[in-house]
Amino acid sequence: MMTVDTNSPFSMSGKRILVTGASSGLGQQIAISCSEAGASLVICGRDKTRLNETFNKLAGTGHQALLGDLTDDAVLASTVEQVGLIDGVVHCTGVSGPIPARMISREFLDRLFNINFFVPTLLTSKLLAKSRINKGGSILFMSSSAAFRGVHGMSVYSATKSALVASTRCLALETAKRGIRVNCLAPDLVVTPMLLGSGAILSTNEWLDQQRAIHPLGLGSTDDVANAAIFFLSKASRWITGTTLIMDGGITY
Amino acid sequence: MIGSAPFSLAGKRILVTGASSGLGQATAITLAANGAEVVLTGRNAQRLAETKAAMPENKHVCIEAELTDIEQRNALADNAGLLDGLVHCAGIAAVRPFRQIDKDFIDKDFDINLDAPLLLTQRLLARKQLNRGGSIVFVGSVAAHIGTKGSSVYSASKGALVPAARALALEVGQKQLIRVNYIAVSYIETPMLARLAQEGMGGEMAMDLPLGKGMPEDVANSVLFLLADASKWITRSTIFVDGGHTCQISAL
Repeated sequence: MMTVDTNSPFSMSGKRILVTGASSGLGQQIAISCSEAGASLVICGRDKTRLNETFNKLAGTGHQALLGDLTDDAVLASTVEQVGLIDGVVHCTGVSGPIPARMISREFLDRLFNINFFVPTLLTSKLLAKSRINKGGSILFMSSSAAFRGVHGMSVYSATKSALVASTRCLALETAKRGIRVNCLAPDLVVTPMLLGSGAILSTNEWLDQQRAIHPLGLGSTDDVANAAIFFLSKASRWITGTTLIMDGGITY
Repeated sequence: MIGSAPFSLAGKRILVTGASSGLGQATAITLAANGAEVVLTGRNAQRLAETKAAMPENKHVCIEAELTDIEQRNALADNAGLLDGLVHCAGIAAVRPFRQIDKDFIDKDFDINLDAPLLLTQRLLARKQLNRGGSIVFVGSVAAHIGTKGSSVYSASKGALVPAARALALEVGQKQLIRVNYIAVSYIETPMLARLAQEGMGGEMAMDLPLGKGMPEDVANSVLFLLADASKWITRSTIFVDGGHTCQISAL
């Protein structure tokens, strides 16, 4: 259990944070860590059982869970209606998937861009249009080290993740007047359910061992990403906007 | 309790260079306020003592040293003891139009901004004074990435630190789990900036950044993050603490 002193520049006390994709992986841990650091949470996810699991793991009180698929415009609109006023949003909805370039279809492109880029972009747009984000608030997107370096078979995924990096810079300029900051995290391999089956011909565990060996600091944990998210949501990063933090255990060229 | 938190520095001993003024001073005070035992070094004994007086608890140490002097630098390293973190804040921001630069100007800039931090780090590593799991932070400048008028030499010396830090991180990462990162800082309210503004060399731009004025504490908090266990998977990376300066296509 993490605790952060309320005097610490990393305290989340008094902040209300929206986390999407909170039913598993990074989103789940970010929600839990933010609650442990003092925030009240609004969590979104598609899977009722797993979203409830996350909800039950949140520390403190005053949290809210919103069930639904954000690729559905009606769900997105009702999420913005129900969220209230927030001090930060962490966009963790995302899908990965390797595909050789010669097999890319419009359907595949639509699916990845829809979940990885359109949903966080539209949700942010509507939150801003309805003035749901307080002055001094922080918007955080989940990019990937794949946005910066090539990975076999990941052209579409990488494109969705670098789209977030590029739009972050522009959005940061637009929201600076309201004192709202916008940043991206770009993690390399973190052990989450999304990695299941990523090893192509290798078993997931064999592939993970191989990857662990070549990362100078090993693979990341969801805690590592959650702590970086707290840095970007808290006043400790008050003067940081439009940036992307690569966190990769040192592997990226 | 800050003792068990990922953002606490309780139990960590950190050397901060340039601790007698500006960013280094604010950094030393912030680190101490978050539990660290700090070894402060700088050229001015009186200002070091003043910085130390502003820090909670009386466990901190001041060591006066001119980092470009090999004997003083080595003495500093030899007296610094075992460390969990090393923060390089000492530096100069001398600006000069390109057509007026000469060998002396380049040598002086590189002595302070590049050679001194690298050689101090080398000495501490060679003598195994950096504990396993430690963290090294180079406080640099956005000039390293963008280049600004009059700063060709400064940008080069600060820029050289980026790949140096990334290469060093590979050498100390896997076995010792020591992390090495860089902070790219834009115009912050410090005595150095005030001097630059007086000389008409960029300080006035500080007000035009998307998030307005940056304060020394903003840099200090990023240093704190990179020293704390919260960033234990982050190495060879750069954090831009720049108020939105470099996400724009141009600040002009």
